[in-house]
Amino acid sequence: METWIEVVVFGLQRGAIFGLVGLGLALVYKATRILNFAQGELGTVPAFAALMVMTGFETVGDEVADRGLLLPATVVAVLVGALLGVLLYVVVIRPLGKVSPVTSLVATAGVALLLTTIEINVFEARARRFPRPVNGGFDLPGTDVIVDWHTVVILAALAGVALALAAFFRSAPGVALLATAEDPFAAELQGVPVERMRALAWGAAGALGALAGVLGAGVFESLTPGLVTSTFMIPAFTGVVLGGITSMVGAVVGGFALGIVSQAAIQIVTTYELDVPGPPQLAVLVVLLAVLLMRPQGLLGRSA
Amino acid sequence: MSARLPRLAVLGLLLLLVLAIPQVVPGVYINVVARAAVYGIVALSMNVLVGYAGQASLGHAAFLGVGAFASGYALTEMGMPFGAALAVAALVGMAAALVLGGVALRVTGLYLALVTIAFGLFAQETLFNIRSLTGGGAGQPAARPSLFQGDVAYTYLCVGVLFLVILFDWRLTATRPGRAIQALRDDERVAASWGIDVTAHKLLAFVISGGIAGIGGGLFASIEQIVSKEDFGLSLSITFLLMTVVGGAGNRWGVVQGGILFAVLPTLLDRTHANFHVFPFTELTATWEPAIGAVLLLLTLTMFPGGIAQQQGALLSWLGGGPFTRDPDAHAPQGGGMGARP
Repeated sequence: METWIEVVVFGLQRGAIFGLVGLGLALVYKATRILNFAQGELGTVPAFAALMVMTGFETVGDEVADRGLLLPATVVAVLVGALLGVLLYVVVIRPLGKVSPVTSLVATAGVALLLTTIEINVFEARARRFPRPVNGGFDLPGTDVIVDWHTVVILAALAGVALALAAFFRSAPGVALLATAEDPFAAELQGVPVERMRALAWGAAGALGALAGVLGAGVFESLTPGLVTSTFMIPAFTGVVLGGITSMVGAVVGGFALGIVSQAAIQIVTTYELDVPGPPQLAVLVVLLAVLLMRPQGLLGRSA
Repeated sequence: MSARLPRLAVLGLLLLLVLAIPQVVPGVYINVVARAAVYGIVALSMNVLVGYAGQASLGHAAFLGVGAFASGYALTEMGMPFGAALAVAALVGMAAALVLGGVALRVTGLYLALVTIAFGLFAQETLFNIRSLTGGGAGQPAARPSLFQGDVAYTYLCVGVLFLVILFDWRLTATRPGRAIQALRDDERVAASWGIDVTAHKLLAFVISGGIAGIGGGLFASIEQIVSKEDFGLSLSITFLLMTVVGGAGNRWGVVQGGILFAVLPTLLDRTHANFHVFPFTELTATWEPAIGAVLLLLTLTMFPGGIAQQQGALLSWLGGGPFTRDPDAHAPQGGGMGARP
């Protein structure tokens, strides 16, 4: 029993990061109908920016990060993420013009590759220690399961982001963004600055990505080039599809579901001593295929 | 026709140049030439899916890996001769592609792209980790055929197979099924209204692509004579996509050049970094290679959607027997490209 509580606790921790990455994906998709493969690197690059702030801008040394600076470093990371998001829209996405969704996915995959390569060249292909805001954990009442405080921090951050987004979509700019997504031409006629709204969505996605990057690096307590893309992106993609690709709530629910499913897959293979390598990747593929073949609009999405 | 002689002369010179390369390249780099030929084969495989049928593939390294491991298993565990192992690699590649093609019948566009990514990761982490088939972390040995033991000889074998695949691709686009596959790219419903069996031809495109990639994998396995799962990651799949798009999806000569370019780029950067002591080369080491590829991709998508083939449009048209003009109608059968509007 306790192992399964542990599965849920770990699943929630990973799932919350999937959810944060997924929210950025869903936001950009909602606003511009583009699935952004570079969302993961919108997390890793700001996480490196945070690391720079905490180590006094030492790019390749072994300077240990100063945990006391984590809060200002996170603020810097979020700003870097937002800037990077807007830059990505202005420099790459807008000049692309009206192309098929697959072509824009390919373009953002190119951006992800570009950013990862820059990280490798600036920071070298090795792991750097990355602090958590709160260390240690506590016993879950009535069990021996230890819950990391970091899990609580991630869940709180996710809840805060969800509330902020919910409030945003009820405000005037939020409605303008929804209008842009629904019908850009009609929105423009109503005086909505369509281009600016799209840039705003990309900027917000960058800020969300930065948060996911800083907290995700905290999960492993280390940061390597390409970290968010290689560890969180594909489950986050699948979570977004599972939740319904344009649904914000769906992105979070899907993220949690994927977190628990991949953790459960690892546990099942260990418990029954099955000789199956890569259980999380297998689980992700199975979930993705099951959703696409049985309920392509996702759990909470409207039919496309 | 007086224009025919210079054209044949140029084609002959190009052929001689290609055949001379394995002779003149220094021994340490000969395997790069073999790899370039294999990447050319993979690019043609990608081209059938991306360029002709209009499907996305972000997990193509999985097909190369499936072929490489199948060939390695057939050679090492079953003691098959090289030709038979290559046939096994092609068949296994076809089978894997058929599975993915079945999914592509129900799932299209963006979602199919996601499935191919997840499939690639599944292949890398699960399939290629099954120790009894792939040798696990140690890798699967794959010996070369006795006739082509040497590096130069094996390189000629790879180049020869590349030419055979080009020939096959050329005949494919000239046949009815080949044209039917290309009709799918523009609009499946219109294709169906012309009486084209969409299901069968989509599956055919996947099977052909998987078969070519399987052969490429079989050849790839014996370049280093050992196959390990680290060779077939997501970044390789993205490289394959980059070389297809940068080469010019839909144009066989374009994608082959794209494949060769991305195969030699790391070595090229190493050499320029070591030998040229002026600015860009002093900073550009081989680790920058993916960044250069990515920038080429973004420039291609925003400025030249037809890739290398578009920029060589006039030359390719002339070599193919047409006039020396970039007018896209002059070589109409090879259009498309990633920029093709939906």
